[in-house]
Amino acid sequence: MTAFRVPGRGRVLHNRPVSFTFDGDTYQGLEGDTVASALIANGVHLMGRSFKYHRPRGPIAAGSEEPNALIGTRRGKGRFEPNTRATVQEIWNGLETNSQNKYPSLKFDIGAINDRLYMLFSAGFYYKTFMWPRSFWDKVYEPFIRAAAGLGVSPTEPDPDNYASRYLHTDVLVVGAGPAGLAAARAAAEAGLRVTLVDENAEPGGTLLSEPQAKIDGKPAWDWLESEIDALIDLGVRIMTRTTAIGYYHQNMIGLCQKLTDHLEKPAASTPRERMWRVRAKQVILAQGALEKPLVFDGNDRPGVMLAGSAQTYLNRYGVRVGNNTVVVTSHDSAWYAAFDLASAGTRIEAIVDTRPAPNADLVKQAAARGITVFAGYTATGTSGRLRIKSVRINKVDNGRVMAAQTLACDSLLVCGGWTPSLHLFSHTKGTLKWDDQSQTFLPDRITEDCQIAGAGRGLWGIEAALNDGFAMGAAAVKALGKTANIKTLSVADDRPGSGTSHTELPTDLDAGKARAFVDYQNDVTAKDLRLAVREGMRSIEHVKRYTTNGMATDQGKMSNINGLNIAADALGKKQPEVGLTTFRPPYTPTTFGAFVGYHKGDHFEVTRKTPIDSWAEENRAVFEPVSLWRRAWYFPKDGEDMDAAVRRECRETRKSLGMFDASTLGKIEVVGPDAVEFMNRMYTNPWTKLAPGRTRYGLLLGDDGYIRDDGVIGRLSDDRFHITTTTGGAARVLNMMEDYLQTEWPDLKVWLTSTTEQWATIALNGPNARNLLAPFVEGLDISDEAFPHMSIAECSVAGFPARLFRVSFTGELGFEVNVPARHGRALWETLFAAGQKYDICPYGTETMHVLRAEKGFIIVGQDTDGTVTPYDAGAGWAVGKNKPDFVGMRALNRPDLTAEGRKQLVGLLTDDGVSKLEEGAQIVLDPNQPIPMKMVGHVTSSYHSDAAGRPIALALIEGGHGKTGETVYIPMPDRTIRATITGTVFYDPENARLKL
Amino acid sequence: MLLIHCPYCDETLPELEFTYGGEAHIARPENPADKTDDEWRDFLFIRTNVKGPHFERWRHAHGCGRFFNAVRDTVSDRFLTTYKAGEPRPDLAVLLEDAAKKEPSK
Amino acid sequence: MTAHIDLSKAGILAESSAVRVALLPPVARFSLRAATPEQKALSKALGITLPAKIGQCGRKGDIEIICLGPDEWTIIAPEDQAGMITDACAAIYAKTPHSLTEISDREVTVRITGPKASDLITIGCPRDLDQLPVGEARRTVFDGVTTVLWRDGDQDYRLDLWRSFAPHVIALLETGCGELAGE
Repeated sequence: MTAFRVPGRGRVLHNRPVSFTFDGDTYQGLEGDTVASALIANGVHLMGRSFKYHRPRGPIAAGSEEPNALIGTRRGKGRFEPNTRATVQEIWNGLETNSQNKYPSLKFDIGAINDRLYMLFSAGFYYKTFMWPRSFWDKVYEPFIRAAAGLGVSPTEPDPDNYASRYLHTDVLVVGAGPAGLAAARAAAEAGLRVTLVDENAEPGGTLLSEPQAKIDGKPAWDWLESEIDALIDLGVRIMTRTTAIGYYHQNMIGLCQKLTDHLEKPAASTPRERMWRVRAKQVILAQGALEKPLVFDGNDRPGVMLAGSAQTYLNRYGVRVGNNTVVVTSHDSAWYAAFDLASAGTRIEAIVDTRPAPNADLVKQAAARGITVFAGYTATGTSGRLRIKSVRINKVDNGRVMAAQTLACDSLLVCGGWTPSLHLFSHTKGTLKWDDQSQTFLPDRITEDCQIAGAGRGLWGIEAALNDGFAMGAAAVKALGKTANIKTLSVADDRPGSGTSHTELPTDLDAGKARAFVDYQNDVTAKDLRLAVREGMRSIEHVKRYTTNGMATDQGKMSNINGLNIAADALGKKQPEVGLTTFRPPYTPTTFGAFVGYHKGDHFEVTRKTPIDSWAEENRAVFEPVSLWRRAWYFPKDGEDMDAAVRRECRETRKSLGMFDASTLGKIEVVGPDAVEFMNRMYTNPWTKLAPGRTRYGLLLGDDGYIRDDGVIGRLSDDRFHITTTTGGAARVLNMMEDYLQTEWPDLKVWLTSTTEQWATIALNGPNARNLLAPFVEGLDISDEAFPHMSIAECSVAGFPARLFRVSFTGELGFEVNVPARHGRALWETLFAAGQKYDICPYGTETMHVLRAEKGFIIVGQDTDGTVTPYDAGAGWAVGKNKPDFVGMRALNRPDLTAEGRKQLVGLLTDDGVSKLEEGAQIVLDPNQPIPMKMVGHVTSSYHSDAAGRPIALALIEGGHGKTGETVYIPMPDRTIRATITGTVFYDPENARLKL
Repeated sequence: MLLIHCPYCDETLPELEFTYGGEAHIARPENPADKTDDEWRDFLFIRTNVKGPHFERWRHAHGCGRFFNAVRDTVSDRFLTTYKAGEPRPDLAVLLEDAAKKEPSK
Repeated sequence: MTAHIDLSKAGILAESSAVRVALLPPVARFSLRAATPEQKALSKALGITLPAKIGQCGRKGDIEIICLGPDEWTIIAPEDQAGMITDACAAIYAKTPHSLTEISDREVTVRITGPKASDLITIGCPRDLDQLPVGEARRTVFDGVTTVLWRDGDQDYRLDLWRSFAPHVIALLETGCGELAGE
């Protein structure tokens, strides 16, 4: 048994010891302890160093609002997490923890020199200190700021844990399982609603866990709690603990982060570490309670200084006394009870110091009965002790005058500056707050979502008040959902309602300018900093916040915001509501990236679409490239080949004999109906009326702005049925665009669109031997040049599979595209590959496809066009049906901007040296000797080494390019400037002789 | 994440099933050739960009696939109504009155 | 990157005490599109009344028809009945314009059964499953992927998935299958 553990007390299991380490030393705690409670039980309060001044710090709270006791936790390789709250992390055998922000050790930290230099680090010191000289920015200031910035140390290894996510729909979500939340859940569940009750703590109960003395409905609080939870479970309430509501979004969507394994010694491998719940609730009940405020005075941050309510929690929930000799400084009744509980447990209460001249008489009487000295109408003006508090200095305040000091020795100091409702989630909804003068705090005002606020969250103190408000608000939610509820009430004995006053920094007889009176512990912001910010011209609370960083730490000002506001308002000479609060934003508490990522890592990172032939490519050592969501075979290297060599070989063999290519990713849309041809006429630039069934045509699709959106070969299968192909990346976009026109502009057309991209596997055969390979496999169709000329389409059977056969070429060679139902894609590929061996068939990938098409000057939409290219710019004016009455984009082609001189036009480029290959994206200038910045007239869109042309070739968009054939342009590169000549865009077989084989 | 009522499915569904489609009630002119350059420019590019109730299009892309219209307050992100494509603009004053009645604040 | 999953082999993909995920054998699938006035004639030709409400299903023998949009249905049938469907529709096309397009190979179907089948759906589908009655189906989304979700029983679902998106969804379902068993 450790020195500060109270035998038999609390909810920890006294017969289940747990050992863990902190900074290398082994400590004993109990099952149910947090790191903080276990260390305090061992007499350890010093748990970290502060961020800016490296001041020694211990836990000031017992929950997730803790700003000081941030530790690193480790569970083997890769499982290190910085900035974990020691007050939240549960212990298990073997847990390794470490303090932060210290070097070389927690007890002796060199960084603490900052504390001596604190006058340099006042509000806005970044802005003042790092202004000049300008040359210091890169070399001195930035490295300094970067070295000093950041809390804890980032993990360096990949996170081996898994994370999960789930959607949840519920009628009523109750946030917070304290008395108000429990009661609200009960009311909603009894009405037969789907109810979800969540709490960030390891067990439900909230305040009840810290107040076992209360008797609810005649039962001791913990007995009542146990039976209440059983009742909720019986009613089907989903109770989730270790689950934080991190954000409250539109229309009652709440993000919940559930921690599943951090408290376990040996989690199951299949259990994710955390799970993000995206909850949609018809009604939300916020029962998050209130947070205790510290008092602001010099030295209020020493280890051993703690919120009184937290000390009460450590005692009653964890069975831990925070010290042997304790002084209480308070402005609120609640701290008195903490003192009484500790006194009963054996801690000597040196004194209760109340800032109020006349505290609650009943409490004073109880203190007297316990022999506790009371100082009423006093202020605290300082503390002593380096690594742990040794004494507190107090002074009588008489009519505003601070009288002579006296010093009280202690090993712990409990403070309480009153309570403030936890309204973070409510604020996420843009619900407004109003200042309540009586309780000196903000309370919820205008509600914007379907939510209720219950209990201390709306300023009701005491268990009975919270409980009965919970029943009432639960009933209100039930009523809002159209059901009836009885409003139940319960009476609570030994309840501890109370009241208090609120302060700015406490009055002092010492130099206030030298006081280290902390408001924001985590960011080391003092009362002096806030006043300085106001003196230096900050008027808006948002400016004060940013100038001082008050409330900007990872605790988001849970403890500091109201104290900060009180001080800023005082300095501004305004009332609190005129100054207002800063904005709370999600997440409520720091949340791991893993929780947000969920399943989306490794295999689940994102969708990778693969064709039916992909597995063959993988087995045959293809190198892949991503194309939109697809992965496509890029090239097929043979032993010893790099990409360049493989692509040259693939190009050569395809043009020489036969290549095969997996074109399954091409988008495909089936257009069917009596108005199919009319629809085609309206959508595409080309005329379709005279295209006979069995024939295909290159189609060009524009937006109504006249710019190229997509292209592809389109076959007419019958009068009323077209088979459109789109670019791989454009498939979904094109279908969406077509549906848009069809549904909203031309709903009268009798035509329907169906995506068939994935219905078909598509194999392209190209090369002089394409027909020789294919013909023996085709049944029901003569594919001779006479019977099935270039740009034909037919339904037939290929190798026994039903097929749609296109005669089409994207390479300039004799070409066919065989479409078979997807499940047969790989079988057909293997059949053709085997039979093609006698023609030295060469499987090729997307890179070779790109080279072969560029040699023919065929554009790739999105590479040679960029969303500002018209058909005329691209040299595809031939595809525009000039006699059509209308098509999408037609009108825009006559807009002045689109017919103006000097538009960028697609041209060919050949480098003058015949060997330099241009960089795609390289900028083009007319005069290389002009001063920088040069006038850029265009850029290279496509560039390859061309085996067929025997030299590098390129396509480029150049201002007025079509009128500049034969002219010289320059491409400045980092190491040299390359000369090139503008040419046409066709580099190979301009007569198309090879198509006619 | 918003909840959106699809007027075709008649269900109120998660925003994840929908895609945004720009401002509503901008019909493509019957005879584009009759339009002046300025008129065509306005049709293509000029939008109201309102602060407040905005008539806009959505598509139930992962659902019934239909484009439909909505009135959404761009300040509060609240939908005032949704209605089928081709239906007339609803009366904004009536919508705002209805919305005020539904306001959860008390 | 998405793991490779062989879509040519029907059978159990993942199984735990919580849930079983299985790939179903191929069936004939058609997308049927038609305007409201034509629905009567099509129903007659097919011998099944086309359901008029989005999400509702019509069934006769082994044939199922699901209404996915105001003018859109998917017909699911045994492969040997595909010819009957195409013939029936072709016969009335001239007087009853519509679009019948085969999509048998566009999609694969995964069946999810077991005590936690609904929970498994919730790892990727944002819909409230309590609003999906048994016997109906909805086109919706699963982890960003369009899917048709059929509810065949309280804890019995089918997911129709486009072929190339299926491995991503299946891999997630496999992960969820193990996760749910551990709860």
